[in-house]
Amino acid sequence: MNRVAIVGAGITDCRGRWVEATYWDLFQQATRRTLEDAKCTAGEIDSVVYGIYNDIFEHQAIPESALTGIIGMSCKPGTRVTSGGATGFYAMRTAIMEVASGVSDLVLCIGGEKATDCFDPQSRTATPMVIDTIAKSWDPFFEYPLGATASDSYAQMCMGYDDKYPGDIGDVTVRARVIEMLCRQGNKNPFGQRRDEKVTVAQVLASRWIIAPFLRLLEACMYTEGAAGVLFASEKKAREISERTGVPPIWVKGIGAANESYQAGRGGAYKPLWSIVSDRVAAERAYAMAGVKPSDIQLVELHDAFIAQFMITMGEMGFVPLGQTRRLVDDGIMADIREIGDTRRPQKGQILINPSGGLIFGGHFVGGSNMFSMWSARREMLKRQMPLALIHGTGAINAVFGGAIVVELEDGGAR
Amino acid sequence: MILGEAWNLPREVSEVKGKDPGTYLAFNTHMVTFYQQTYGELSRFFLALRAGRLIGSHCPKCQQVMVPAATWHCPTCDFVEMQEIELPHRGVLAATAPITIFPSASFIGDAPFARGYVDVATDAPIASFLPSRLRTTTGLPRPGIFVKGVELKLVFEDERIGSIRDIFWVPMSEVPAKLRDKKPLLSSQLDFAKPRAPAVERTQAAEKDLGEALAAMRGLAGKIGESPRAQKDLSGRTHTIGVKTGGGNFTLRVASSAIRVAEGLPKKADFLMVAKDPAVFTRWVADGSLTDAAVEGKLWLPHKEAFGVLPILDRLPRSVRRDVR
Repeated sequence: MNRVAIVGAGITDCRGRWVEATYWDLFQQATRRTLEDAKCTAGEIDSVVYGIYNDIFEHQAIPESALTGIIGMSCKPGTRVTSGGATGFYAMRTAIMEVASGVSDLVLCIGGEKATDCFDPQSRTATPMVIDTIAKSWDPFFEYPLGATASDSYAQMCMGYDDKYPGDIGDVTVRARVIEMLCRQGNKNPFGQRRDEKVTVAQVLASRWIIAPFLRLLEACMYTEGAAGVLFASEKKAREISERTGVPPIWVKGIGAANESYQAGRGGAYKPLWSIVSDRVAAERAYAMAGVKPSDIQLVELHDAFIAQFMITMGEMGFVPLGQTRRLVDDGIMADIREIGDTRRPQKGQILINPSGGLIFGGHFVGGSNMFSMWSARREMLKRQMPLALIHGTGAINAVFGGAIVVELEDGGAR
Repeated sequence: MILGEAWNLPREVSEVKGKDPGTYLAFNTHMVTFYQQTYGELSRFFLALRAGRLIGSHCPKCQQVMVPAATWHCPTCDFVEMQEIELPHRGVLAATAPITIFPSASFIGDAPFARGYVDVATDAPIASFLPSRLRTTTGLPRPGIFVKGVELKLVFEDERIGSIRDIFWVPMSEVPAKLRDKKPLLSSQLDFAKPRAPAVERTQAAEKDLGEALAAMRGLAGKIGESPRAQKDLSGRTHTIGVKTGGGNFTLRVASSAIRVAEGLPKKADFLMVAKDPAVFTRWVADGSLTDAAVEGKLWLPHKEAFGVLPILDRLPRSVRRDVR
């Protein structure tokens, strides 16, 4: 496999609703910013990979067809990837494979979402229809007719985990402390959706229940309208672009993916209800390919659908023991942004998790959320000279899709 | 009909203000298709439900049981043909179940409801879980009922069409002993309409707390007359609610865009609420939430219609705070 580098990234402002732009313009904004970041022209791009979660939000079947000319990719190969919440991860995996195989030297991976154009005539608001659209991720035979939402399915994983490991994610105060820390980090993201909010532990504890006892309103990710792009390059092209920009390449060291069975059950290939196996297997594969251990990594951009799942995923990916994920807060493993500021690395034994504010404070435009995470990880690696980072994606009902990418700063940063 | 009148929008283009702050246009439209979708190979499972039977597919090689029978060829044994197996009408909950409070657009009005995974083929070494509706005869679903390992009884709707909603499960402990082995047990043989309210023990501490709660609620009731928002919240609503607590009973009346609080239970109530701790109502007045109390299991309610009243009541303290200084 040829070496693959990240040589540019760009995102739009993350908003709950963009009445000023269609998804055409959002994708164009992100493309423009990504190319500006890499000092590249659209003409240099060999091919494009689109991360677009579903046609219903974009209100067009084959939505990428309308984008091709508008983002300057006319007469280039274009592949659309859709894999639920993990769409962004799988789009990046596709782009990485395209460069790694030698088929292309420079691939634009661009993803986004325009979710809140959906509208529910009954409540006169968007949210129930957005939830309904996502709930269509369930099958129409056995699951959707029962009325479950995507949040219910993630909550089910948390409840199964809590059955096995009581006293860990079940402590809402611990979860609220994670929220407070993520909020402070999200305040530093100039594109973040909730960058002006101040959320305290007390506010989390007072916010209304979405699903008791694991999901209060302030523990949930958002619906975001926005787009993000990442530019993947071959080694030769990366050197050339790095020369132009003066910014070192970030190398893809390892990538892992795993999709669990849709059917939940006991034994065999069935999805266990107490574990997000997809996260564990994906991360282990990425570590093996990169030749690193979780303890080597101090920067993580994690797909946090909500906080209890954030904690389980940190456990599954090996950063804290399963059943003891509250140690992220209790033992100060989660680095405090107030202590490390904008340019310093975390202390030994600490991890900077979701400096973007994650999907809860930064933004969650499904098709591009994981590109948003990659954009943030690269930004932090360059600012703090951090050698390694892990980018995680999860998706589909019951969190059965998982992906992880380990990236490394050129020359290992200043280590 | 699949889509009711409430699912429609006028054909129009409206103006929307941007953040920039220009004027933009929004158009009402839809992206809907209808289906006459075949159950195909899954039809056997649904035909069995219609006949009051629960079946799964059994692999003769690895002995796994799949319920529902999502396939008839074993995915882990080179797709060897699986055989139909009759399954028991009892099972255990595989994991504590979430309770949906804020449903999607298609299920508005049904909440709160519980849904979980039932381990039916408990004797099989490998088995899938049946995604299922979970119901209780003891009022609204609430934490503590549908917990991992609870034994469940399969119940069939009296009228079955061939849908996963033809069946649901109730805790075995709620099924009279003489009905526990009945196959199929029908919904009409259990009483969901008149759940028995839980008993609450009277304590002196709770009596004191009730005094504070009554004073707080009367304070709120007095301010509603000065709050146009609160009056609008209550507009057109009439409810007589009996409330039992560990400190004593009271009545909450909603009528003429006002609330009244009186000690003791009414002669005739629309429904009864039960809270061991009367401070639930003090917290409500202090911008807390009766909905949250119900969700947490601190406030017992008999049915979803009662649950539907709580968001209205929850708005009152906030409306009063905004209007009355």
